[in-house]
Amino acid sequence: MKKSYAALALLCFALPLLLLVAPLPVAGQRGRGGPGTPPAAAVPAPPIRRMQDGKPDLTGYGLEQRRSTERLTPSTNGVVVDPPDGKLPYQPWARAERIDRELPHRGYEDPTAHCFVAGVPRSMYTPSPFQILQPPGYVVLLFERMNWRQIPLDGRAHIPDTTRLWNGDSVGRWEGDTLIVDTKNLNGKTWLNEVGDVLTHDAHIVERFTPMNANTIMYRATVTDTVAYTRPWTIEMALNRQDDELLEVACHEDNGDLQHLKDVRDEYRAKNKGK
Amino acid sequence: MNVRLSRAVILAVFVAVAIPAFAHHSFTAEFDTSKAIKITGKVTMMKWANPHAWIFIDVVDSKGKVTNWALETGAANSLIRRGWRKEDLPAGTVLVVEGWQARNGSPTANVSSITFTDGRRLFAGSSNPAAPQK
Repeated sequence: MKKSYAALALLCFALPLLLLVAPLPVAGQRGRGGPGTPPAAAVPAPPIRRMQDGKPDLTGYGLEQRRSTERLTPSTNGVVVDPPDGKLPYQPWARAERIDRELPHRGYEDPTAHCFVAGVPRSMYTPSPFQILQPPGYVVLLFERMNWRQIPLDGRAHIPDTTRLWNGDSVGRWEGDTLIVDTKNLNGKTWLNEVGDVLTHDAHIVERFTPMNANTIMYRATVTDTVAYTRPWTIEMALNRQDDELLEVACHEDNGDLQHLKDVRDEYRAKNKGK
Repeated sequence: MNVRLSRAVILAVFVAVAIPAFAHHSFTAEFDTSKAIKITGKVTMMKWANPHAWIFIDVVDSKGKVTNWALETGAANSLIRRGWRKEDLPAGTVLVVEGWQARNGSPTANVSSITFTDGRRLFAGSSNPAAPQK
Protein backbone atom coordinates (compact mmCIF):
# COMPACT_ATOMS: atom_id res chain seq x y z
CA MET A 1 0.00 0.00 0.00
CA LYS A 2 2.81 2.36 0.85
CA LYS A 3 4.32 1.77 -2.56
CA SER A 4 1.18 2.95 -4.32
CA TYR A 5 1.10 6.05 -2.15
CA ALA A 6 4.73 6.67 -2.98
CA ALA A 7 3.96 6.37 -6.69
CA LEU A 8 1.09 8.82 -6.30
CA ALA A 9 3.40 11.21 -4.49
CA LEU A 10 5.82 11.02 -7.38
CA LEU A 11 3.13 11.89 -9.90
CA CYS A 12 1.53 14.64 -7.86
CA PHE A 13 4.59 16.33 -6.46
CA ALA A 14 7.80 15.29 -8.12
CA LEU A 15 6.93 16.26 -11.70
CA PRO A 16 5.99 19.87 -10.90
CA LEU A 17 9.05 20.13 -8.68
CA LEU A 18 11.31 18.87 -11.41
CA LEU A 19 9.92 21.51 -13.74
CA LEU A 20 10.39 24.13 -11.06
CA VAL A 21 14.01 23.35 -10.36
CA ALA A 22 15.09 22.70 -13.94
CA PRO A 23 17.68 25.31 -14.93
CA LEU A 24 16.03 27.92 -17.11
CA PRO A 25 17.57 29.93 -19.94
CA VAL A 26 18.73 33.22 -18.56
CA ALA A 27 19.37 36.44 -20.41
CA GLY A 28 23.06 37.13 -20.50
CA GLN A 29 24.07 33.60 -19.57
CA ARG A 30 27.43 32.82 -21.10
CA GLY A 31 27.91 29.82 -23.31
CA ARG A 32 31.53 29.13 -22.42
CA GLY A 33 32.14 26.04 -20.35
CA GLY A 34 29.66 24.15 -18.20
CA PRO A 35 27.00 21.88 -19.53
CA GLY A 36 25.52 24.67 -21.66
CA THR A 37 22.06 26.11 -21.76
CA PRO A 38 19.38 23.45 -21.48
CA PRO A 39 16.43 23.28 -23.86
CA ALA A 40 13.66 25.74 -23.17
CA ALA A 41 11.34 24.62 -20.39
CA ALA A 42 7.85 23.63 -21.45
CA VAL A 43 6.32 25.92 -18.85
CA PRO A 44 7.56 29.53 -18.75
CA ALA A 45 8.96 30.57 -15.42
CA PRO A 46 6.60 32.68 -13.30
CA PRO A 47 7.44 36.39 -13.13
CA ILE A 48 9.47 38.01 -10.36
CA ARG A 49 7.74 37.78 -7.00
CA ARG A 50 7.48 40.95 -4.98
CA MET A 51 7.34 41.94 -1.34
CA GLN A 52 4.57 44.17 0.01
CA ASP A 53 6.80 47.22 -0.50
CA GLY A 54 7.21 46.36 -4.18
CA LYS A 55 10.82 45.24 -3.90
CA PRO A 56 11.70 41.88 -5.47
CA ASP A 57 11.08 38.91 -3.22
CA LEU A 58 14.33 36.96 -3.28
CA THR A 59 13.37 34.65 -0.43
CA GLY A 60 13.72 30.92 -0.75
CA TYR A 61 16.33 28.29 -1.27
CA GLY A 62 18.92 28.50 -3.94
CA LEU A 63 22.01 26.96 -5.36
CA GLU A 64 24.57 27.82 -7.98
CA GLN A 65 24.34 24.77 -10.15
CA ARG A 66 25.52 25.69 -13.61
CA ARG A 67 28.85 24.07 -12.88
CA SER A 68 29.18 20.71 -11.28
CA THR A 69 31.74 21.61 -8.64
CA GLU A 70 33.29 24.47 -6.80
CA ARG A 71 36.67 23.49 -8.13
CA LEU A 72 35.86 25.12 -11.43
CA THR A 73 34.87 28.43 -9.94
CA PRO A 74 35.95 31.10 -10.56
CA SER A 75 39.28 30.64 -12.31
CA THR A 76 38.17 28.40 -15.14
CA ASN A 77 35.23 27.24 -17.14
CA GLY A 78 33.44 30.38 -17.95
CA VAL A 79 32.20 32.21 -14.89
CA VAL A 80 34.69 35.06 -15.29
CA VAL A 81 32.88 37.45 -17.62
CA ASP A 82 35.38 40.28 -17.26
CA PRO A 83 38.18 40.33 -18.41
CA PRO A 84 36.77 39.06 -21.71
CA ASP A 85 39.36 36.28 -21.94
CA GLY A 86 37.84 34.68 -18.83
CA LYS A 87 41.13 34.59 -16.95
CA LEU A 88 41.77 36.20 -13.60
CA PRO A 89 44.17 39.16 -14.07
CA TYR A 90 46.78 38.06 -11.58
CA GLN A 91 49.82 39.96 -10.49
CA PRO A 92 52.88 37.73 -10.91
CA TRP A 93 53.30 36.91 -7.19
CA ALA A 94 49.64 35.97 -6.83
CA ARG A 95 49.69 33.79 -9.93
CA ALA A 96 52.71 31.94 -8.57
CA GLU A 97 50.92 31.49 -5.25
CA ARG A 98 47.83 30.18 -7.00
CA ILE A 99 49.83 27.62 -8.98
CA ASP A 100 51.59 26.47 -5.84
CA ARG A 101 48.39 26.14 -3.85
CA GLU A 102 47.03 23.52 -6.21
CA LEU A 103 49.90 21.15 -5.40
CA PRO A 104 48.84 18.31 -3.09
CA HIS A 105 51.00 19.46 -0.19
CA ARG A 106 49.15 22.79 -0.06
CA GLY A 107 45.70 21.19 0.21
CA TYR A 108 45.97 21.27 3.98
CA GLU A 109 45.94 25.07 3.87
CA ASP A 110 42.50 25.49 2.31
CA PRO A 111 40.57 27.28 5.08
CA THR A 112 37.43 25.26 4.38
CA ALA A 113 39.37 22.05 5.03
CA HIS A 114 39.69 23.42 8.57
CA CYS A 115 35.94 24.14 8.63
CA PHE A 116 36.33 27.91 8.42
CA VAL A 117 33.60 29.71 6.52
CA ALA A 118 34.18 30.04 2.80
CA GLY A 119 33.89 33.84 2.80
CA VAL A 120 32.75 36.17 0.04
CA PRO A 121 32.12 35.41 -2.75
CA ARG A 122 33.05 31.72 -2.34
CA SER A 123 30.07 30.97 -0.11
CA MET A 124 27.80 31.79 -3.04
CA TYR A 125 29.14 28.95 -5.17
CA THR A 126 30.10 26.27 -2.69
CA PRO A 127 28.06 23.25 -3.72
CA SER A 128 25.64 23.35 -0.80
CA PRO A 129 22.28 25.09 -0.75
CA PHE A 130 21.61 28.44 0.84
CA GLN A 131 18.48 30.27 1.91
CA ILE A 132 17.64 33.94 1.45
CA LEU A 133 15.51 35.71 4.05
CA GLN A 134 14.22 39.28 3.82
CA PRO A 135 13.24 40.53 7.27
CA PRO A 136 12.48 44.28 7.42
CA GLY A 137 15.62 46.29 6.71
CA TYR A 138 17.85 43.33 5.94
CA VAL A 139 18.66 40.59 3.52
CA VAL A 140 20.02 37.52 5.28
CA LEU A 141 21.81 34.63 3.62
CA LEU A 142 21.92 31.32 5.46
CA PHE A 143 24.37 28.76 4.14
CA GLU A 144 24.00 25.06 4.82
CA ARG A 145 27.63 24.87 5.89
CA MET A 146 26.56 26.67 9.05
CA ASN A 147 27.54 30.14 7.96
CA TRP A 148 25.51 33.29 7.46
CA ARG A 149 25.66 36.81 6.09
CA GLN A 150 23.45 39.65 7.31
CA ILE A 151 23.18 42.59 4.97
CA PRO A 152 21.59 45.81 6.33
CA LEU A 153 19.71 47.95 3.84
CA ASP A 154 19.42 51.14 5.90
CA GLY A 155 22.25 53.06 4.27
CA ARG A 156 24.73 52.66 7.08
CA ALA A 157 28.46 53.01 6.48
CA HIS A 158 30.94 50.16 6.71
CA ILE A 159 32.43 49.45 10.10
CA PRO A 160 36.00 50.74 10.63
CA ASP A 161 38.51 48.84 8.54
CA THR A 162 40.46 47.82 11.61
CA THR A 163 37.83 45.11 12.11
CA ARG A 164 38.50 42.20 9.76
CA LEU A 165 36.08 39.34 9.25
CA TRP A 166 35.91 36.04 7.37
CA ASN A 167 32.79 37.22 5.52
CA GLY A 168 33.80 40.88 5.65
CA ASP A 169 31.36 43.69 6.36
CA SER A 170 28.45 43.90 3.90
CA VAL A 171 25.96 46.71 3.33
CA GLY A 172 23.19 46.60 0.75
CA ARG A 173 20.83 48.75 -1.26
CA TRP A 174 18.30 48.34 -4.02
CA GLU A 175 18.95 49.76 -7.46
CA GLY A 176 15.71 49.12 -9.35
CA ASP A 177 15.13 45.38 -9.06
CA THR A 178 18.79 44.63 -8.34
CA LEU A 179 20.09 44.13 -4.82
CA ILE A 180 23.60 45.56 -4.61
CA VAL A 181 25.80 44.32 -1.78
CA ASP A 182 29.07 46.08 -1.00
CA THR A 183 31.60 44.11 1.03
CA LYS A 184 34.87 45.27 2.58
CA ASN A 185 36.94 44.41 5.68
CA LEU A 186 37.71 40.85 4.63
CA ASN A 187 40.47 39.22 6.63
CA GLY A 188 42.50 38.03 3.65
CA LYS A 189 42.54 34.44 4.92
CA THR A 190 39.98 32.94 2.54
CA TRP A 191 40.65 31.15 -0.72
CA LEU A 192 38.36 31.68 -3.71
CA ASN A 193 38.05 27.94 -4.27
CA GLU A 194 39.69 24.67 -3.34
CA VAL A 195 42.45 25.05 -5.90
CA GLY A 196 43.52 28.26 -4.22
CA ASP A 197 42.58 31.27 -6.30
CA VAL A 198 43.77 34.27 -4.32
CA LEU A 199 41.88 36.97 -2.42
CA THR A 200 43.62 39.38 -0.08
CA HIS A 201 42.63 41.76 2.72
CA ASP A 202 42.47 44.54 0.12
CA ALA A 203 39.47 43.04 -1.66
CA HIS A 204 36.41 45.19 -2.22
CA ILE A 205 33.52 43.16 -3.59
CA VAL A 206 30.34 44.46 -5.18
CA GLU A 207 27.69 41.79 -5.69
CA ARG A 208 24.56 42.24 -7.76
CA PHE A 209 21.54 39.99 -7.25
CA THR A 210 19.15 40.50 -10.17
CA PRO A 211 15.99 38.37 -10.26
CA MET A 212 15.24 37.24 -13.82
CA ASN A 213 11.99 35.51 -12.91
CA ALA A 214 10.56 33.74 -9.87
CA ASN A 215 13.05 30.89 -10.18
CA THR A 216 16.35 32.46 -11.14
CA ILE A 217 18.60 35.16 -9.73
CA MET A 218 21.47 36.33 -11.88
CA TYR A 219 24.43 36.82 -9.58
CA ARG A 220 27.40 39.02 -10.47
CA ALA A 221 30.34 39.84 -8.26
CA THR A 222 33.01 42.38 -9.16
CA VAL A 223 36.22 42.02 -7.17
CA THR A 224 38.72 44.84 -6.82
CA ASP A 225 41.86 43.61 -5.10
CA THR A 226 44.87 45.73 -5.97
CA VAL A 227 47.27 43.57 -3.96
CA ALA A 228 46.67 40.42 -6.00
CA TYR A 229 45.27 41.61 -9.32
CA THR A 230 46.14 44.11 -12.03
CA ARG A 231 42.52 45.18 -12.55
CA PRO A 232 38.99 44.47 -11.24
CA TRP A 233 37.33 41.29 -12.45
CA THR A 234 33.76 40.01 -12.52
CA ILE A 235 32.13 36.61 -12.21
CA GLU A 236 28.54 35.87 -13.21
CA MET A 237 26.36 32.84 -12.55
CA ALA A 238 22.72 31.88 -12.22
CA LEU A 239 21.36 31.05 -8.78
CA ASN A 240 18.48 28.65 -9.23
CA ARG A 241 15.57 28.43 -6.86
CA GLN A 242 14.85 25.10 -5.22
CA ASP A 243 12.06 23.76 -3.08
CA ASP A 244 14.47 22.33 -0.55
CA GLU A 245 15.24 22.86 3.09
CA LEU A 246 18.60 23.41 4.74
CA LEU A 247 20.00 20.52 6.70
CA GLU A 248 23.34 20.97 8.45
CA VAL A 249 26.97 20.40 7.71
CA ALA A 250 28.50 20.27 11.17
CA CYS A 251 32.01 20.30 9.79
CA HIS A 252 33.90 19.92 13.07
CA GLU A 253 32.10 16.73 13.91
CA ASP A 254 34.44 14.30 12.21
CA ASN A 255 36.93 16.17 10.07
CA GLY A 256 39.19 13.21 9.42
CA ASP A 257 40.39 14.62 6.14
CA LEU A 258 42.41 17.25 7.88
CA GLN A 259 44.84 14.66 9.24
CA HIS A 260 45.09 13.04 5.82
CA LEU A 261 45.86 16.38 4.20
CA LYS A 262 48.41 17.10 6.92
CA ASP A 263 50.04 13.73 6.29
CA VAL A 264 50.40 14.63 2.60
CA ARG A 265 51.98 17.94 3.56
CA ASP A 266 54.32 16.44 6.15
CA GLU A 267 55.45 13.73 3.76
CA TYR A 268 56.27 16.38 1.18
CA ARG A 269 58.20 18.42 3.74
CA ALA A 270 60.17 15.40 4.89
CA LYS A 271 61.17 14.55 1.34
CA ASN A 272 62.20 18.12 0.59
CA LYS A 273 63.95 18.93 3.85
CA GLY A 274 67.02 21.02 3.25
CA LYS A 275 66.24 21.67 -0.40
CA MET B 1 0.40 8.14 3.83
CA ASN B 2 2.42 9.45 6.65
CA VAL B 3 3.99 12.83 6.35
CA ARG B 4 7.49 11.52 6.91
CA LEU B 5 7.30 9.11 3.97
CA SER B 6 5.80 11.75 1.69
CA ARG B 7 8.51 14.22 2.60
CA ALA B 8 11.28 11.71 2.13
CA VAL B 9 10.00 10.72 -1.31
CA ILE B 10 9.72 14.30 -2.47
CA LEU B 11 13.08 15.25 -1.04
CA ALA B 12 14.87 12.26 -2.48
CA VAL B 13 13.40 12.66 -5.95
CA PHE B 14 13.98 16.27 -6.52
CA VAL B 15 17.24 16.90 -4.81
CA ALA B 16 18.79 14.03 -6.68
CA VAL B 17 18.68 16.16 -9.80
CA ALA B 18 19.64 19.39 -8.12
CA ILE B 19 22.51 18.91 -5.71
CA PRO B 20 26.06 18.72 -7.02
CA ALA B 21 29.16 17.38 -5.34
CA PHE B 22 30.15 18.23 -1.82
CA ALA B 23 33.58 19.74 -2.09
CA HIS B 24 34.99 20.32 1.33
CA HIS B 25 38.65 20.28 0.45
CA SER B 26 40.90 19.69 -2.48
CA PHE B 27 40.11 16.23 -3.81
CA THR B 28 43.39 15.91 -5.67
CA ALA B 29 45.42 16.74 -2.59
CA GLU B 30 44.24 13.58 -0.89
CA PHE B 31 43.10 11.17 -3.59
CA ASP B 32 44.59 10.01 -6.87
CA THR B 33 42.33 10.14 -9.92
CA SER B 34 44.65 7.67 -11.66
CA LYS B 35 43.93 5.07 -8.97
CA ALA B 36 40.34 4.16 -9.75
CA ILE B 37 39.12 1.26 -7.62
CA LYS B 38 36.19 -1.14 -7.75
CA ILE B 39 36.06 -3.36 -4.69
CA THR B 40 33.50 -5.69 -3.14
CA GLY B 41 33.15 -6.22 0.57
CA LYS B 42 30.94 -6.42 3.63
CA VAL B 43 30.07 -3.33 5.65
CA THR B 44 31.68 -3.34 9.09
CA MET B 45 30.62 0.20 10.05
CA MET B 46 28.94 3.27 8.62
CA LYS B 47 29.68 6.67 10.13
CA TRP B 48 27.00 9.22 9.30
CA ALA B 49 29.15 12.24 9.95
CA ASN B 50 30.18 15.68 8.75
CA PRO B 51 31.84 17.00 6.73
CA HIS B 52 32.10 13.52 5.20
CA ALA B 53 30.43 10.26 6.04
CA TRP B 54 32.55 7.09 5.99
CA ILE B 55 31.81 3.48 5.14
CA PHE B 56 34.16 0.76 6.35
CA ILE B 57 34.10 -2.56 4.51
CA ASP B 58 36.08 -5.78 4.79
CA VAL B 59 37.53 -6.84 1.45
CA VAL B 60 38.91 -10.36 1.05
CA ASP B 61 41.64 -10.86 -1.54
CA SER B 62 42.37 -14.01 -3.53
CA LYS B 63 44.58 -15.37 -0.74
CA GLY B 64 41.92 -14.87 1.89
CA LYS B 65 43.56 -11.84 3.45
CA VAL B 66 41.02 -9.40 4.87
CA THR B 67 41.60 -5.66 4.53
CA ASN B 68 39.32 -3.09 6.09
CA TRP B 69 38.85 -0.17 3.70
CA ALA B 70 37.89 3.32 4.87
CA LEU B 71 35.67 4.90 2.24
CA GLU B 72 34.85 8.60 2.21
CA THR B 73 31.56 9.92 0.83
CA GLY B 74 29.92 13.33 0.81
CA ALA B 75 28.41 14.79 3.98
CA ALA B 76 25.57 12.96 5.70
CA ASN B 77 22.99 15.40 4.31
CA SER B 78 24.40 14.91 0.83
CA LEU B 79 23.80 11.16 1.16
CA ILE B 80 20.25 11.61 2.42
CA ARG B 81 19.50 13.73 -0.61
CA ARG B 82 20.77 10.96 -2.85
CA GLY B 83 18.50 8.36 -1.32
CA TRP B 84 20.84 6.80 1.25
CA ARG B 85 19.16 5.58 4.43
CA LYS B 86 20.73 4.22 7.60
CA GLU B 87 18.57 1.13 7.55
CA ASP B 88 19.96 0.13 4.15
CA LEU B 89 23.51 -0.24 5.43
CA PRO B 90 23.68 -2.54 8.46
CA ALA B 91 26.94 -4.37 9.20
CA GLY B 92 27.26 -7.32 6.87
CA THR B 93 25.68 -5.61 3.86
CA VAL B 94 27.57 -6.58 0.71
CA LEU B 95 28.52 -3.63 -1.48
CA VAL B 96 30.42 -3.00 -4.66
CA VAL B 97 32.22 0.29 -4.18
CA GLU B 98 33.70 2.42 -6.93
CA GLY B 99 35.97 5.36 -6.27
CA TRP B 100 39.55 6.59 -6.12
CA GLN B 101 42.26 5.48 -3.74
CA ALA B 102 44.25 7.77 -1.45
CA ARG B 103 47.56 9.06 -2.73
CA ASN B 104 49.44 7.36 0.08
CA GLY B 105 48.35 3.92 -1.10
CA SER B 106 46.51 3.08 2.12
CA PRO B 107 43.17 1.25 1.95
CA THR B 108 41.37 4.56 1.92
CA ALA B 109 39.28 5.86 -0.94
CA ASN B 110 36.85 8.53 -2.01
CA VAL B 111 33.60 6.91 -3.13
CA SER B 112 31.92 7.57 -6.43
CA SER B 113 29.09 5.07 -5.98
CA ILE B 114 27.97 1.98 -4.12
CA THR B 115 25.96 -0.87 -5.63
CA PHE B 116 23.89 -3.31 -3.59
CA THR B 117 23.58 -6.99 -4.50
CA ASP B 118 20.12 -6.31 -5.93
CA GLY B 119 21.69 -3.93 -8.44
CA ARG B 120 20.53 -0.73 -6.77
CA ARG B 121 23.21 1.92 -7.18
CA LEU B 122 23.62 5.10 -5.15
CA PHE B 123 26.03 7.90 -5.86
CA ALA B 124 28.04 9.24 -2.98
CA GLY B 125 28.46 12.96 -3.58
CA SER B 126 32.12 12.54 -4.36
CA SER B 127 34.25 15.65 -4.27
CA ASN B 128 36.05 14.49 -7.41
CA PRO B 129 35.06 16.98 -10.10
CA ALA B 130 34.94 14.12 -12.60
CA ALA B 131 32.59 11.95 -10.53
CA PRO B 132 29.07 11.25 -11.76
CA GLN B 133 26.53 12.76 -9.38
CA LYS B 134 23.28 11.17 -10.38
